[in-house]
Amino acid sequence: MLRIGLLAGAVIFAVVYGGVGYANEVQVQVQAPKYQFNKKTIIRGGIFFAQHCLTCHSMKYIRYNRLAADLGLDKKFIKRNFMTPAGAKYLRGMITAMPPKLAAKWFGVTPPDLTLVARYRGVDWIYTYLRSFYWDPGKSTGWNNHLFPGVAMPNVLFSYTGTIDGKGHVLKKATYSPQEYDRITTDLTAWMRYTSDPSIIVRKKIAPYVIGFLLIFTLFAYLMKRAYWRDVH
Amino acid sequence: MSNNRSFWVWINERLPISGFLKASMTEYYAPKNFNFWYFFGSLALLVLVLQIFSGIFLLAHYYSHANQAFDSVQGIMFDVKWGWLVRYIHATGASMFFLVIYLHISRAYLYGSFRKPREVLWILGWIIYIVLMAEAYFGYVLPFGNMSYWGGEVITAIIGSIPVVGDWLVSIVRGGPGLGGATLTRFMAFHVVLIPLLLIVIVVVHLVALHQVGSNNPDGIEISKKLDAHGRPLDGIPFHPYYTVKDIYGIGVFLTIFAIIILFAPTFHGLILEYDNYIPANPLQTPHDVTPAWYLSPYYAILRSIPSKGLGILTLGASIMLPFFLPWLDRCPAKSVRYRPVYFAMLLALATSLLVLGWIGMQPASPALLPPARIALGVYIGFFILLPIISRFEPVRPVPDRVRS
Amino acid sequence: MSVKQDKDEKDSEVLDRKELSKRRFLTATTAALGTAGIGVLAVPFVKSLEPDAAAAAASVVTVDISEIPPGGHLTTSWQQKPLIIVHRTPEMLATLSQVTSQLKDPDNKVPQQPSYAQNIYRSRKPEWLIMMQVCTHLCCSPTYDPKKGTVSSTWLGGFFCACHGSRYDLSGRVMSGSPAPENMVVPEYTFIEGGKSIQVTGLDKKSKLC
Repeated sequence: MLRIGLLAGAVIFAVVYGGVGYANEVQVQVQAPKYQFNKKTIIRGGIFFAQHCLTCHSMKYIRYNRLAADLGLDKKFIKRNFMTPAGAKYLRGMITAMPPKLAAKWFGVTPPDLTLVARYRGVDWIYTYLRSFYWDPGKSTGWNNHLFPGVAMPNVLFSYTGTIDGKGHVLKKATYSPQEYDRITTDLTAWMRYTSDPSIIVRKKIAPYVIGFLLIFTLFAYLMKRAYWRDVH
Repeated sequence: MSNNRSFWVWINERLPISGFLKASMTEYYAPKNFNFWYFFGSLALLVLVLQIFSGIFLLAHYYSHANQAFDSVQGIMFDVKWGWLVRYIHATGASMFFLVIYLHISRAYLYGSFRKPREVLWILGWIIYIVLMAEAYFGYVLPFGNMSYWGGEVITAIIGSIPVVGDWLVSIVRGGPGLGGATLTRFMAFHVVLIPLLLIVIVVVHLVALHQVGSNNPDGIEISKKLDAHGRPLDGIPFHPYYTVKDIYGIGVFLTIFAIIILFAPTFHGLILEYDNYIPANPLQTPHDVTPAWYLSPYYAILRSIPSKGLGILTLGASIMLPFFLPWLDRCPAKSVRYRPVYFAMLLALATSLLVLGWIGMQPASPALLPPARIALGVYIGFFILLPIISRFEPVRPVPDRVRS
Repeated sequence: MSVKQDKDEKDSEVLDRKELSKRRFLTATTAALGTAGIGVLAVPFVKSLEPDAAAAAASVVTVDISEIPPGGHLTTSWQQKPLIIVHRTPEMLATLSQVTSQLKDPDNKVPQQPSYAQNIYRSRKPEWLIMMQVCTHLCCSPTYDPKKGTVSSTWLGGFFCACHGSRYDLSGRVMSGSPAPENMVVPEYTFIEGGKSIQVTGLDKKSKLC
């Protein structure tokens, strides 16, 4: 018992101390989003992504047809709401129509593919990033970001964030309410979390059966062991 | 029934199956007092099998070309049916392999399983551990994420510090300047063929060495010293069925934990699948912290704690090589920690030093962490240096001549 | 089996029988569960070898046919097999009704084509033949011989397979005397972009390439 406890303690220790954080440019405290991660929020985030972000950012590993199986959507809905870039094909990935070389010329750097961004930045970082843009007349786009200083991306969500300067003064109010602002950023975060690991949908589905079966197997294995070991003194 | 018997007789005239099963399972006597620490040998074998199977099915889809490796791994995760499961099994299996091996090694330290007559068994085991670290390293480079790339660069650079042949060795390991396509294909040859074959052979020899001398046990006494009228150890029980059924139960517990990790936390907060490896390899940009996987982290902390490059690598090498001498460093008449309170304290210090080094190795480099790292390194090396002296004079509780459960 | 070597023989026997049946049940159940578990675990591994989403995406191919003049043809590949597109002239189409007596399956009774191609032209639009150029005998690729009198003096145009001498008309229907059993396969396709391109999407499940 003691040994199992020590082992569990070691594992917990490892989990608590193990994660290597992102100590890079962070002077801003990264906020954790309070959100529901379910099909509804993923779909909402995905539709917004397809309509506002796919113009520059690809998600090349996500094929449109997998949204049907994963999120319970039909082909027509996906065609209408997700397949926004020119040349989009149902069986192929979400690729932006913006030519990467031209994008690099316009922005200074090619907008990165975002399929896996939730993996290497994390959900908290994405949420905070979307909410950390500020007005900076010194930049060519006019926008800078507290979490990612010098970022080449303009503030696509300016109607939600409003135009705020580096010190937090509101220069122009948002056209959407704070609730809608929160909703759009949490939805986008949910969407990116889904795309970085779509297997989560299947994993959650099969987990009770797999673990349940293994527990039953282990129980019978234990009873079998106990039956044989009655002989041993 | 008679058909069965005569078939069995026919086979055994041509292959020594019955004899082998008798000698290794039904008439091989193991101590009856095995505890929790004795599950991990069979579990290590299970993980080896899991890694080989999941590895084969990954190999069916992986492209070892520098431009395609990363995408092929994402193809496995996104496009291949159940590919994510195969990949997660392989990645989690790698971490589990080390967890299991570390617990397996701990047992040896606790009960003196490295002592005479098991010196060769211990040496073979330690060789398996080193070979396993090489296997994990080569495998880690294959997905060619940014951590794969830079971790690969750093470790191959360490080889360069070997005097005289260092630079040439690096060139044959890399196959070119920096870590490129040539490196990837040869790492695949090492990871998929060379080392698995080596591992299988050494594991078999490890088991042969075990059966030659028989298992140690938590009391550290030799059960072969007290035999019954038939020549069987009084404190022994046949491996089959007793330990086969016990190991099956252990496998059940292990697989349940394994499944929970894979289905609920497959990246385990960056411990099993590091975050920075989800960025494709970029030769022009090093990630902020090039820390190795958790299971190599104590060695990384040791390396970082020594300011000189050559001395650091020497210390690292010494830390890995010292345990080879363990069988001859321990001079206490008793083997098991159960009867050696001072040795118990030393083991606690050793374990703590390794955990501290492991934790430090996973943090970004910081001057504040140097003193604790050096102290922990001192404790670690100190264990091996002081053991021959302390073990000669330490108080020993009375060791029983029959095992206690 | 029992390690109780100092117990009374008779007592051990009675205990053993009950214990034995309990052990048998537990062993059998655990073994059955274990085997079932391994069997179920094998399924995703085996399935992982099935063609993946990338292969499925590659199976849909678009071909631009706007540059093919009447009488011209284009050969390309679909799923690593030759696909031929022929832009047939009215003269070529006229030959189709002249060879009926020479054909093994003039009415396309064997389902080697989708329903919209079950006609004399074996296509959606008479002038466009879209067909897998694979001989149904042993999978060679028959050559396209549209000129009259080339393969034989009475040849009106079609396909000739050099491997074993199978012959087909200008709709890919197999001629009598050929070792090939069936007409060549017409894949599933649609016209897109107002007829400028065709998109080949698959093969009818019942059709056999070769």
